[in-house]
Amino acid sequence: MTAEIKNRFLIPLSWITTEGNKTGSWRFLRPRFENKTAPCSAGCPAGEDIPLIEMLIAQGEFKEAWETILTENPFPAVCGRVCFHPCEGFCNRGSYDEPIAIHTMERFLADTASRYDFRASATDTPSHKERIAIAGGGPSGLSAAWFLSRLGYQCDVYEASPEVGGVLRWGIPAYRLPKDAFLQDLRHLEEKGVGIVTNKRIDEDFLKDKDDAYSAFIVACGHGKGQKMGIPGEDNPLVIEGLDFLKNIREEKSVGCEGTTAVIGGGNTAIDVARSVIRLGGKAVIYYRRRRGDMPAFDEEIRMALEEGVEIFELLSPAEIRRDNNQLLLSLQKMVVSGEESGRARVVPDGKKQETVRVDRVIRAIGAKPQEAWMNPPDNGADVQRLSHSCLVYKKGQKPVVYAGDLTNETKSVTHAIASGKQAAIALDVLFREGFAAVPKKLDLCRIGNGQAHSIEIYTGGRRKERSSHIVEFSEVNTDYFTFTPRIRPPLLLVEERRRSFNEITLKISAGIAIEEAGRCFNCGLCNGCDNCRLFCPDLAVIKNGEIRTINYDYCKGCGICVVECPRNAMSLEEEENT
Amino acid sequence: MRRVIEGSQAVAEAVRLSGVQVVSAYPITPQTHIVETISDYCEKGEINATFMRMEGEQSCLAALIGAQAMGVRTFTATSSQGLAYMHELLHWASAARLPIVMAEVNRALAPGWNIWTDQTDSLAQRDTGWVQIYCEEGQEVLDSTLIAYRLAEKVNLPVMIVLDAFFLSHTYEPVDIPDEDEAHRFLPPYKPQFRITTADPRSYGALVTPADYMEMRYDISLAMNDVFLQLDDIHAEFSSIFGRTYGPVEALNCEDAEIILLTSGTITSTSRLVVEKLRKQGEKIGLLKARLFRPFPVDAFRNNLKKARKVAVIDRNCSFGAGGIFAQELKAALCNDDVKPLIYSYIAGLGGRDVTPDVIEDIYWKTKSADTPEQESVWIGLKEVSHGR
Repeated sequence: MTAEIKNRFLIPLSWITTEGNKTGSWRFLRPRFENKTAPCSAGCPAGEDIPLIEMLIAQGEFKEAWETILTENPFPAVCGRVCFHPCEGFCNRGSYDEPIAIHTMERFLADTASRYDFRASATDTPSHKERIAIAGGGPSGLSAAWFLSRLGYQCDVYEASPEVGGVLRWGIPAYRLPKDAFLQDLRHLEEKGVGIVTNKRIDEDFLKDKDDAYSAFIVACGHGKGQKMGIPGEDNPLVIEGLDFLKNIREEKSVGCEGTTAVIGGGNTAIDVARSVIRLGGKAVIYYRRRRGDMPAFDEEIRMALEEGVEIFELLSPAEIRRDNNQLLLSLQKMVVSGEESGRARVVPDGKKQETVRVDRVIRAIGAKPQEAWMNPPDNGADVQRLSHSCLVYKKGQKPVVYAGDLTNETKSVTHAIASGKQAAIALDVLFREGFAAVPKKLDLCRIGNGQAHSIEIYTGGRRKERSSHIVEFSEVNTDYFTFTPRIRPPLLLVEERRRSFNEITLKISAGIAIEEAGRCFNCGLCNGCDNCRLFCPDLAVIKNGEIRTINYDYCKGCGICVVECPRNAMSLEEEENT
Repeated sequence: MRRVIEGSQAVAEAVRLSGVQVVSAYPITPQTHIVETISDYCEKGEINATFMRMEGEQSCLAALIGAQAMGVRTFTATSSQGLAYMHELLHWASAARLPIVMAEVNRALAPGWNIWTDQTDSLAQRDTGWVQIYCEEGQEVLDSTLIAYRLAEKVNLPVMIVLDAFFLSHTYEPVDIPDEDEAHRFLPPYKPQFRITTADPRSYGALVTPADYMEMRYDISLAMNDVFLQLDDIHAEFSSIFGRTYGPVEALNCEDAEIILLTSGTITSTSRLVVEKLRKQGEKIGLLKARLFRPFPVDAFRNNLKKARKVAVIDRNCSFGAGGIFAQELKAALCNDDVKPLIYSYIAGLGGRDVTPDVIEDIYWKTKSADTPEQESVWIGLKEVSHGR
């Protein structure tokens, strides 16, 4: 302690920036921007880019959202109504509070497109010389036509009925799918220049292509012929085929529904028939051979059918039908559960117990099959490729044929039919450009998250191709950034109104509600520009240029905060090489 | 103007007179009256400062570090757990050479929860590079706070003004409050030696390699040594303006004393009575009050203690495993001297237990009767306790 001591002043102070200290050299983990695959989109048979669709809705970009659906699915107005939305079952938000109402959002976009008369943007595709004939104007045939024309092919769709649509036009009742909704979607195809030939029933000779007009064929004739029960008395005029019954209603022919109608079956067609009977003033009773919980019809459909007054009896199998004046005596065999088969009850007759009911008609809805045997794909062989949603056949000296839709699909739904049409289109494009053998591998490359669905955007090299196939899990979402919010429920017609008209049941929702609901979406694996990565980076190493973010690896220490704070797992952290 | 005010209010009056610009606070008993009074003054416009209510003490000090680096005069006050919570930033403030002033009201640390006085909280922060001044009564609190700003800004180190919980913080005493002109004559507006400004951007507090770190720490050490010289000047100037005299220590009857009590804080006041009484009885007793603890005023202690035979250090604190902290420091300071007194260490009054004249007298007699001090600190006034349930 001396008098010479001065207050010296050395503090860490720098006149230059800290950029001289390249902290990136400390890094042994490397974060990077990596969009991934959302479970909903991998679970959508049509492979819609759901996280992007929800993000665009939340941003109020309704036209872009609608066009994002169209990229993978030409039928938003149809699917927004009748799709059984498996996507919602995969939604990660379901592990948090409730899944996003993806189905309702799709319907909202279709309604908005209709209201503002959105037109699909023209996409420039090179045109190819090959021309393709499609037999069947149902959802799979029309989808194949849509995707083929987007890939640059001319197509002609041949339809036996006076109008195309198949089950969409002639099967599903109007209270679920009004005609205008289908026509709204059909317009994109018409504007694409798809040739449509109606009232033209195709036979086997068609595939022989005597005029050499086509380079390939798609057989998408559907399952239009009802299956028989195989019981005595079935060939009675009061025993009606369910599909025919529904078609008659759609054709606005008069169908008698007075008295009691017994409906046999447990699928959606059986429910559609029973609910239509109620609307026409009749009493509808469904008899199903297994338990109610085993019915293949959608739960929501069954629930609404019961609300509307349909009665359902389970474990009763039709045994015999007898005529009694203008009525039928339907004998039913009581069944008992003897075990399980593929998740449903295996049932066997319960010995002697039979009961007989008096009904005014029986409507049969126990499944369907192709109208004609040639519509079925051939047996296996070197020239046959059984694909996930279709079957490609290229026999020597013949034109390639793709069998699609219900003819090949395990699950017979509209969305699976669309997936099938898409696969048929891609398969033919690969075949034309790279040959028969290249088809499976090429299809494999455009699968979404290595699942069953294919993406035309990935196939054509769009931005979706850059996403990793990793399917984001709930545990990978940072739920700190989300609050519990109930899922929206679309308004429905009152049950009294439903029972007396074929008016559409599900009503519209407003844009404000749709934006709120879409805002609940985690957007799993998809950057929405929230900027957390940049705001949380302790080294200012995330650089934003416009909407493009990059990482400055000169300074990124690899702390991983950006990856943790990304609410939606749109970033990845990996070990550095050479460390 | 002479008013009867609390020790807490004495701090607040000094802060008002200092022209402080940023105050941050988080409430903790017994510090609360200090920041309540200051917030009142801010509300009424008598203090023209930004008053920041923070979410915790760590943030309180972090906010002041930022503010002070921008070149403004700052203040905060805390106690006990709050000071402990600030620990990391106590180091930061001193190493960044920021002359922050803080009032620290000595309170015991939990558990068991105890809001009463005990010096262990502030003494546990002795290595953080803060100057520590311990006060005995209200006037000293006010004066020391003004002195603290002068000193801090001169040596560029933060200063902690330490006062006992309740015995000082909540006790009303007559205090001379300087008028603003006088106060400003002694403490002119702050002229920072450096400040963060966008006009001349620099980075502060970044990485320092082994090549330079040690010199920075040596400078802090030099600045601490400089405190002795600067404080002498500041005390002298203070005395010339206000007529009250302070030093790093205060000696009472030490010249001819055989046994000297070494105290700090309010125990000093009580000890003054004991010294007066025992002197009348012919005992050669003296009293040395430690005011400055960091830097530790070794010369002042040595000069005042060298003639005594024994020193009885009364510590209202404990470093477990090493005993009373003032005693330790004193032993360390004197151990190499040829002539030095025997040092007796006593621990008393922890957790706010009363240290009465009788307790202090008892310490004196114990010291007088023991030829050699105990190796360890002697705990005074322990009760018989049963550890059973």
